[in-house]
Amino acid sequence: MLNKKKLKFTVIDIAMIIFIITAISIFFSRTSQVLDYKWEWDAMPSYFFFLDAATGKFKANILVKGFVTTVKLSFWATLLGFLLGIVSGIMGAKGSFEQRFISRVYVETIRNIPSLVLVIIFYYFVSSQFLDVLHLDTALRQSGPAVQRMTGILFASPGQINAFISAIIALGIYEGAYVSEIIRGGINSIPNGQWEAAWSLGLSRKKTFLLVILPQTFRRVAFPLAGQFISTIKDSAIVSVISIQELTFQGMELMSATFLTFEIWITITVLYFILTFSSSRSIAFLERKYALKE
Amino acid sequence: MRKILCLSALFILLMTTGLSARESIIEKIQKQGVIRVGMSTFVPWAMKDKQGNLTGFEIDVARKLAKDMGVKIEFVPTAWSGIIPALLTGKFDVIIGGMGITPQRNLKVNFTIPYDYSGMSMVAHKKKAKGFSSLADFNKKNVTIAVRMGTTAEQAARKHMPNATLKLFENESQALQELNLGRVHAVVSSAPMPVFHALKYPDKFFIPIQENFTKEPIGFAIKKSDHDALNYLNNWIINMHAQGFLKEKKAYWFGSKDWESLIK
Repeated sequence: MLNKKKLKFTVIDIAMIIFIITAISIFFSRTSQVLDYKWEWDAMPSYFFFLDAATGKFKANILVKGFVTTVKLSFWATLLGFLLGIVSGIMGAKGSFEQRFISRVYVETIRNIPSLVLVIIFYYFVSSQFLDVLHLDTALRQSGPAVQRMTGILFASPGQINAFISAIIALGIYEGAYVSEIIRGGINSIPNGQWEAAWSLGLSRKKTFLLVILPQTFRRVAFPLAGQFISTIKDSAIVSVISIQELTFQGMELMSATFLTFEIWITITVLYFILTFSSSRSIAFLERKYALKE
Repeated sequence: MRKILCLSALFILLMTTGLSARESIIEKIQKQGVIRVGMSTFVPWAMKDKQGNLTGFEIDVARKLAKDMGVKIEFVPTAWSGIIPALLTGKFDVIIGGMGITPQRNLKVNFTIPYDYSGMSMVAHKKKAKGFSSLADFNKKNVTIAVRMGTTAEQAARKHMPNATLKLFENESQALQELNLGRVHAVVSSAPMPVFHALKYPDKFFIPIQENFTKEPIGFAIKKSDHDALNYLNNWIINMHAQGFLKEKKAYWFGSKDWESLIK
């Protein structure tokens, strides 16, 4: 960052700030006057952390737990999505006819059904046929407390594990289709000259792909893939319909119990925003840093 | 070819082990040492307290059941509209969630004898529903009523006010929000929630009909053809009626508001 621009306040900036402040205050004054909404923010902090009377320590409450679950869910779903997407993307770009066919069927099917429908189908039909038969939850319950704590930190408690895994798989399959398209596009975007140059140096087709094309592809698709991770965070809200205790679900439960509708939705919005905005900023930072070297 | 054979054999094996597991849930619960209870948030049946723990009438009942069986309890909070499919696909063992026993639901699941009775009540907007005092007042084309989807409140509203327009919501808080915004004339829900809401905002809402306009038996729901479990649960409920446990809990959760400081 050699030529860092100096931040300067212009008239437009000031107008913008005034506009935003007015918009927010209009929103709050209208909700409290016209809609006669009684704001009750004072209980909100205790839904993040509460003081445990027995131990005298602060403990995480529902919203923090939901936030952590959302992060865990997005992480595993992204990992699975990347695995599926990379395999399917390579198959789709350079595979045999059958491989390209399989990849196309996967991508087109998933991209053309709503994620909500996919998640529900997966939870009620697919997972009850396969996951429940594996008796993962029973095995986990009979395991020692150390194992339970570890899976609790990485995944979910024994009671939640089946639902959690089916959510990861459903989200992973869904994201995988988009990742597949990013990878396929990346591979196809490498100019033909690269192939020809590698062949003329005597590299085999396989070696050309692994040593010349793939490294360049990954460089091109790294940032679109990171963007897909952010989408996964946002898409993860959808698994609240199958009762995964992530941020949206916890928020809705809290609303049903307290009827603090606006306060909770606003808090949840801010939490999602913090998560996705900080990810997108760090990605943008990395992008600038590494783009220089190209 | 051999691969395909192996795979299909494995597949069939998986399917049959899934189907042959037809033991009673009572045995399964005891073997695993845990009962999984499906529920959904309904104030004051089941809700989260300030510490994020579940509390409420149903929660007390379910905890007592687990204690009497000598097993641990695991609650599975589930969206109400999908709670029966979730029971049928084995996401939990039993629904203890204030579920009204209706003939339609009974075709899909088995119900125990009632452990409680609930009734529908209605809270209305003072300005929008001015002067309304009977079901007939609400049974008009231009009246809108908000209810939670898939509940007996929805059925009651359809039956008693067939001409009114219904707005369906996934959660009760959304239905109430709609009333707060003055977009609907009234919200129908199981007592005592409507009364609580009217008490909380006495200048905005009122109770148009003092008595509950339906009476519904409430039971535990389990999968069909599990007679051992049905027998156990029925007798447990008879016992709890006899001991006065249910009456005492009902008085605490529905007759008082002592618990409100636990929630907010």
